[in-house]
Amino acid sequence: MKNRLRVLRAERGWSQADLAVRLEVSRQSVNAIETGRFDPSLPLAFKLARLFDRSIEAIFLEDSLPGIQEPG
Amino acid sequence: MALCNRQLSPLQRRTTQLFGANLALTATLTVAAREFYKQTHPAFVTVYLLATLLTLPVIGVIVVVGRYLTRETDEFVRMLVVQALLWGIGVTFTVDTFLNGLFAFPDIYRLIPILNLDLFCVTCGVALRVQLWRNR
Repeated sequence: MKNRLRVLRAERGWSQADLAVRLEVSRQSVNAIETGRFDPSLPLAFKLARLFDRSIEAIFLEDSLPGIQEPG
Repeated sequence: MALCNRQLSPLQRRTTQLFGANLALTATLTVAAREFYKQTHPAFVTVYLLATLLTLPVIGVIVVVGRYLTRETDEFVRMLVVQALLWGIGVTFTVDTFLNGLFAFPDIYRLIPILNLDLFCVTCGVALRVQLWRNR
């Protein structure tokens, strides 16, 4: 799953370590999420959303999945 | 909270210490039991009791790891630890099965007395180190 974490973090001038402290996770976790190697759980995604004052959808971009259509 | 030896969380430090203590207990109990068997030729009941005693560090490691996994709040680190544990289980089963097959042949003496728990712990440690290096 792609995300805008690196951009949002850079806008605030935070290092990965700074963000890790705010999220109470390891720096490796932040790095893994940023690079898309690890998708965070819902509680951590909500924590990120609260921290950046954005919705989860504004931070995480769903990969286009074949066979799944938009509702309506 | 970088995952270097110097900067482990209190939970990680405590778990590492307990893990090491269980390994040391395994080595001590194994050596002591071997010497005891050699020197005293104990009765069957004593042998069974000693064999049961040797399982204590194994149970200890499972308890330590279980306690850690339930208390670790960093889900990414928890995932790395689970992956390392799977590596440990996989390597231990594979080597154990290989050695059992090898030692079933009567002409091959048990040259390398490998302890499953040692192999498991070392493999887990190496796998976790590799995972942390890959995700540095």
